Amino acid sequence: MPLDTSTTYPLTKLRLDGRRWNELRLIQAQISTNAASSGSSYLTMGNTSVMCSVHGPAAGRRGEATGSAGSAGAIVDVDVNLAGFAAVDRRRRGGGSDKKSSRMEVLLRSAFQSHLYTHLYPHSTISIHVSILSADGSVLAAAINACTLALVDAGIPMPGLLTACTSGMSGSALTPKDPRSDELDPLLDMALPEEQELPFMTIATTTKLPVGEDQMDEEQETGISFMSMDAKVHSTYLETMMAVGIDGCGQIRELFEGVIKSSSRA
Amino acid sequence: MSSQRQASSAAQVPHLSPAELSYLYTSLALPQNPIRPDGRSPTQFRPLSAESNILPGTNGSARIGFADGTQAIVGVKAEVERTVLISDTLDVDQDAETVEGAEESASAATGGHGSWVQMSIEIPGFRDDDALPVFLAEMLRESLVGSVGGNEDNGERHMAGGLKGRLVINKRWHWRLYIDVLLLSQPLSYPLPLLSLTTHLALLSTKLPKLKSTGEEDPFFDDDWAAAEYLYPRSSTINSNPSQQVRPPVTLLVISVGENVIFDPSREEIAVADAVLAISFTRNSDSDTGTDEPLKLLLTQRGIANSETENGNGPDSAAAAEEETPGVWRPRRGGIKRSVLAEMMKTALKKGGVGEEVLAGLEGVEVA
Repeated sequence: MPLDTSTTYPLTKLRLDGRRWNELRLIQAQISTNAASSGSSYLTMGNTSVMCSVHGPAAGRRGEATGSAGSAGAIVDVDVNLAGFAAVDRRRRGGGSDKKSSRMEVLLRSAFQSHLYTHLYPHSTISIHVSILSADGSVLAAAINACTLALVDAGIPMPGLLTACTSGMSGSALTPKDPRSDELDPLLDMALPEEQELPFMTIATTTKLPVGEDQMDEEQETGISFMSMDAKVHSTYLETMMAVGIDGCGQIRELFEGVIKSSSRA
Repeated sequence: MSSQRQASSAAQVPHLSPAELSYLYTSLALPQNPIRPDGRSPTQFRPLSAESNILPGTNGSARIGFADGTQAIVGVKAEVERTVLISDTLDVDQDAETVEGAEESASAATGGHGSWVQMSIEIPGFRDDDALPVFLAEMLRESLVGSVGGNEDNGERHMAGGLKGRLVINKRWHWRLYIDVLLLSQPLSYPLPLLSLTTHLALLSTKLPKLKSTGEEDPFFDDDWAAAEYLYPRSSTINSNPSQQVRPPVTLLVISVGENVIFDPSREEIAVADAVLAISFTRNSDSDTGTDEPLKLLLTQRGIANSETENGNGPDSAAAAEEETPGVWRPRRGGIKRSVLAEMMKTALKKGGVGEEVLAGLEGVEVA
């Protein structure tokens, strides 16, 4: 019997690594791990582990800062390094960066360029260096989370924590959803075998900082600020996946708030 | 853009004035007890934190961080590969006129080959084919594959042929070892000792799956990772002498200033050094227990590639021809004195010396 989620999940309602549909993997996070940078973090989500360091805001390099974009606010510069030993098989690379990591660089840059209060630092550069030490699914989400923690450590102002996670469906989900026999479940926080087999999306949410009259409200407003999906899914499933993803991001945010508070106390 | 970034990080030489450099040189060259800028003794290392076996997806891994924030992570991955026998890939110190290919192939198949170990170093701001990473990787790899291991005695399994020999599975199959070194921050000081220590630690924690097949069968391994064997065998018995075990080599950076020999130099100290030497050594497993040479020297070489040194002024530059003015530093010319070189070797390799201390310290890092 092939051991994959789409055959075993309907029978057991348990995923390959024994989780239920709405369970996150074990998340461990540390901040201020590297003294040589303005801010740094180390994050593991299951067997995915990511290290991130932030330098800056520092004076922009010549040529870039003179451009119109540089004068308006800080430029976020992201550098992703997928370690050769990160994946199951050792990756052979021929110089420079590869397609996968440069795509992640673009996604991370777009996510944080708009998220941070860059207008406070005109003519400067915030450079983020992400090292993926071990890739076991949800790499992009883990990178976003690690960046958020490192940026918090560096003290760069942002409206709220940007946290990300992945959500997928427990089957191919190419046909419209049947409301009578709903046999596909949404899955939270995909591991590598699930990612390779099932459609999934990366979703990142942030909280809006309560200002003025809203300050009284205990309930913080959450908004999606980043979404990325490479797979095909029928549009009727999209809502479920998003709902599960948003919920997961909320769980991660609570966890991170604890991490940040406990590290500032120490 | 990338070339700019590289230029800034490749500048190993700090911006110090000639007067500052002269001051630094004088205090480091004080006879008997040099004064180092950070107050260390000549043989003292910078404080570091180390852990091993940190990555679940690798055969072995380690992280070492210096207190100044430079960190390196090393991951070791092993793959099984079919041994391809082409005569010019073999070690050709055998008889050149060996007519039978079989004889030659036998030597490579049992002795291993240096190209089975691949090393790559990534330093932020550098491409991986830049001079510095390639130079460092080759220096570390050379001492690694060059270390020929112990003999077989006492019934305990030693590594015949060193690391190369350990990688042989049988005549047709062998392990290929990929050692990926990741420097996580810009090199604040010359990264060679950090990379070497981290690599050593990662190799110590490296495990290979236990072989179930025997002889010349296609290799077949035990599924149980708990049964996996260390690449560098650990002693099974407590009373066996640790100095008998084969260990991966360590490369240390040593500088000489005047008559003084200084270990683990910082960037400023390298800038005024008379000579920078990289010393690779490992446990001397060939000798009997009683010898007073616990370590053996593998190779020494110029610690730093030409382009990285000399404080901007090559030995041929015009500045060297000027009169020497007291209080103004200028780059030293000429080689290293024999007595100083001997002193360097002695301090590093003698019993109870720096080398032994380093190896013992690394051995002490818990391999969980």
